[in-house]
Amino acid sequence: MELQPIHPEPTSFIRKWIFSIDHKVIAKQFLWTGLLFLLFGGTLAMLIRWQWAFPGQSVPALGPVFFKDTGGAITPPTYTSIFTMHGLIMIFWAITPILIGAFGNLTIPLMIGARDMAFPKLNMYSYWAFFISAVLVILSFTSQLGAGNAGWTTYPPLSTNVGSPGWGQTFAGLGIFVTGLSSIMGGINYIVTVIRFRAPGMTWFRLPLTVWGLWLTAILNVLFVPVLGSGALLVTLDRLAGTHFFITGGAVGLKGGDPILFQHLFWIFGHPEVYILILPAWGIVGDVLSFFARKPAFWYKGSVFAMIGVTVLSAVVYGHHMYQTGMAPMLGLAFEILTLAISVPAVLLFVNWLNTIWRGSVRKTVPMLFALGMVFVFGAGGLTGLLLGTISTDIYLHDTMYVVGHFHLTMAAASFLASFCGLYFWFPKMFGRETNPLLGKLHFWGSVIFITTTFTGQLLAGYSGQHRRLYDPFQYDYITHLRDINRWTSYSAFMLFIAQIPFVINFFYSVFAGKKTKENPWDVPTLDWVACSSPPVYHNFDVVPTVVRGPHELGNPEVKKALGKDWISQTEEMPGEDLAHAAAAE
Amino acid sequence: MKISPRKWLGARRALLPALAGFAVALTTAGLSLAKPQPGTGISLPVDASADGHRIDWLIGVTNAITAVLFVAMTAWIFIAAIKHGEKHTAKYDHGTSKRSMFIALGMAGSVFVVVDGNLFVNSTMDLETVYHNFKEAEKDPNSVLIEVNGHQWAWDFRYAGPDGKFNTKDDIVRLNDMRIPVDTPIVIEVASTDVIHSFNLPNMRTKVDAVPGQINKIWFKAKMTGEFDIGCAQHCGTNHYKMKALLTVLSKEEYAKWAKETSAISERAYDEKDESAHWGWDWKDI
Amino acid sequence: MASVAKLEPRMRENFTQSLGMIVALGSWAMMFGALFFVYAGVRTSARVWPPAGLPALPIALPLVNTLVLALSSVMLWIGTNALIRGNRKVLPRYVALSFGFGTLFLVLQVKVWKDLWLSGLMPSTGIYASVFYGLTVLHAVHVFAGLIVLAVIFARSLKGTYTEHNAIRVRVAGMFWHFVDVVWIFMFVALYLL
Ligand SMILES: [Cu+2]
Repeated sequence: MELQPIHPEPTSFIRKWIFSIDHKVIAKQFLWTGLLFLLFGGTLAMLIRWQWAFPGQSVPALGPVFFKDTGGAITPPTYTSIFTMHGLIMIFWAITPILIGAFGNLTIPLMIGARDMAFPKLNMYSYWAFFISAVLVILSFTSQLGAGNAGWTTYPPLSTNVGSPGWGQTFAGLGIFVTGLSSIMGGINYIVTVIRFRAPGMTWFRLPLTVWGLWLTAILNVLFVPVLGSGALLVTLDRLAGTHFFITGGAVGLKGGDPILFQHLFWIFGHPEVYILILPAWGIVGDVLSFFARKPAFWYKGSVFAMIGVTVLSAVVYGHHMYQTGMAPMLGLAFEILTLAISVPAVLLFVNWLNTIWRGSVRKTVPMLFALGMVFVFGAGGLTGLLLGTISTDIYLHDTMYVVGHFHLTMAAASFLASFCGLYFWFPKMFGRETNPLLGKLHFWGSVIFITTTFTGQLLAGYSGQHRRLYDPFQYDYITHLRDINRWTSYSAFMLFIAQIPFVINFFYSVFAGKKTKENPWDVPTLDWVACSSPPVYHNFDVVPTVVRGPHELGNPEVKKALGKDWISQTEEMPGEDLAHAAAAE
Repeated sequence: MKISPRKWLGARRALLPALAGFAVALTTAGLSLAKPQPGTGISLPVDASADGHRIDWLIGVTNAITAVLFVAMTAWIFIAAIKHGEKHTAKYDHGTSKRSMFIALGMAGSVFVVVDGNLFVNSTMDLETVYHNFKEAEKDPNSVLIEVNGHQWAWDFRYAGPDGKFNTKDDIVRLNDMRIPVDTPIVIEVASTDVIHSFNLPNMRTKVDAVPGQINKIWFKAKMTGEFDIGCAQHCGTNHYKMKALLTVLSKEEYAKWAKETSAISERAYDEKDESAHWGWDWKDI
Repeated sequence: MASVAKLEPRMRENFTQSLGMIVALGSWAMMFGALFFVYAGVRTSARVWPPAGLPALPIALPLVNTLVLALSSVMLWIGTNALIRGNRKVLPRYVALSFGFGTLFLVLQVKVWKDLWLSGLMPSTGIYASVFYGLTVLHAVHVFAGLIVLAVIFARSLKGTYTEHNAIRVRVAGMFWHFVDVVWIFMFVALYLL
């Protein structure tokens, strides 16, 4: 069955590596750019942590280079830019390109048996739009008045000229808009590719969970990023064209616009965004746990429906970010019920993971360790979210460091660990080489331990009442005694940064000089590993494979008896079976 | 004996010290949470309000339940990874039997009913009877009404003065200085003139955003006298961290004396032409 | 999907292309939806509309304009259908007509803006002017983008690039143009009539 045509491979350097339409090359472009920004955003985080440990003192190493005028110390306006850009960069320019841009591009065609994306050129535009947005965000730093500084949420009127004049905030806003375009273009591609380009026999319920996660993320991206786009556009109009969408005349009465409207737009996008970042992570982890527990994913369909349930609910719970804005009590109550309801599919998914590893034959490979680590931090993060979804407890905890600790555990740490889980897992597929497991394990233990201590420290500081985003938290008398825990949390964050060094060494060494990999080093049954080489040829599959079974056929004793191995691939038939013929005839 | 680092990091021997580490961390955290000494160490700040204990209780109970779930989850992961390791034969199970689906759904359902149910019921009751119950608070003839205006980077407070009307000559207007009587309902309306702030009274366990063009409302009752911090919880620009005011809870007599004296001073200092000082609004009833 | 797999390759390709455009337009609709959400929020909290002292929006000219844009849409639709049936000759004519009506729409829209501007309604006047100019300008940007697409299609159709076999390319572009038209109808009702 010749479903998809084969195009000739480009020969010029530019077409092959720069303006490439090959999903595998685009995946690498997203990966490299994302990793660079991860380093950038991580460095900004270190500056924030330094400031909280030693407010106003000159920063070692970085200070003399970046803050010459003040003798190396961070000033309040610089500080506001740092935490704003840390949030924006980590979300839009680090995690999004790595988890969605890189793994989405790499795995979707390979796992569903497609020769490329449905719209390869659109895919290229998606990367280059992302690149332009990255340039915009860097330009933001060149402003004399500082980079964007209204917080990653860019609430007006603070994000209008009333609160943040200068082109720093303007470029940050435009950057968000353009990177949104990139996400939408990518999303369109992912959605259509999965609907139209699945190999024969690859039914919806034979899709790996990774593909499910990425597909649902793509839907959320396509539906909700444009809402953020509108918000960013209107704020930009308020900044540049003198409109008054979100600027009010004074304290009382509606003379001008309504700043709360922006918060609605922002969180209509912003809450799904949390799931945009976590759904691919859930998918990857769901697969990897099964692969390395050598056991089928526990209640696969339950997990799929849980993910769908979360996707649907994610669109209608956003109000819990706005409990303290003076929201009508009945509306608040509705959002509270929906928010608490989301814990049902989330816990179901979680229980399915736990049951997947239970009574398995757990291989503690590097990807598996990262997957287990993700389950751990996501569990901790999820549990701490309960108090924030509830209105009365949120009154006290809202806008404290508790919120910061919570969303870093769920959204940042969990997607961070899942990113590395995916990176170690598909590294041989991308580069044809193996990574060093010893360095990988060092990287894992350093990461998971210091993630736990860092964000637990933040939870505890917030529980004790420390506000977020304070240049010097100890201005407040009732938290001066939190100096110690802030220092310890900072030390732990510095260690987390240092713990990434083994990864950097491992990554560069392995890309260029790693051991050549076997075709299927992990013995896993999905198409990306069993139906194409590592790294794949330009068109992935010489013959588009025919799929005969689900993605998690591991540990089946009958297979072991007949074939002598504990797994059977998605395309492989048992002796005497004739499933391929049936699938092809369909 | 030579220990290969590869083994040390990956194998079960490494997991035990790690597990021990987590256990120590958990116990420490647990102990500090279990024996709260308000205002010191890791604990909720001093609760100076009549109703803050409701929120504190709900936080405490939820923390206790989630701590149990957290320990169970952690133990599960470690036991599965160690006991059901490489040497263990994987059980071929798709988890699609009625029994396992029932268990999975049951676990999800019971967490929802117990933890979320408890949160929802208590939160709704507290909101109904206390936090959103402005009628009850304003009915008290002694209740003190205060208008708060946030602006970069300070809090303005306005009391109606002897005539009971806002925006008149006898209003008490204070900068970063709010004084209230103990054991009396304090009803506060909050707005802002520039960007969004958030009026936070951590020791009274209440907080609400100060939004330009919109009046938000909170109320509370202090149960002890003393001085407490008022903070801005919403990032509002460069000096957000300095947007701090002082709340002084006085005895009823002291407060009455202060209000009388300050109103007289304010009346003398009243300036018809200073329009920026006339930011008050007519009290908004609910 | 079994039925789709049985289609001949060209039809499968058409299906993929249309699906891509439908998903993209869904996304676009959410963007405009957000703008309408802002408009609804502003309107419901306003006591008087238009606010005291500000000119009311005209109705006659925008109504004419709604018809103009609808006509432009219809022209493109007729041309595309002709192409699908194999009539390649009439396509440039209808695309040109569609382009012409589209341009006329923009010209009239500029006139509406100019009149209001001269009567003292500027974006900085307040929320009333902000939502009006904001929504109409953002829509006009889409019309402008659509006109560029129409111009390209026109040039290519003169060269005979399009046949009944690749009519999907015109059809997909047409979907975007019809979408812009539909958004305008909503905008007309919301801004001028309600
Ligand atoms: Cu403030």
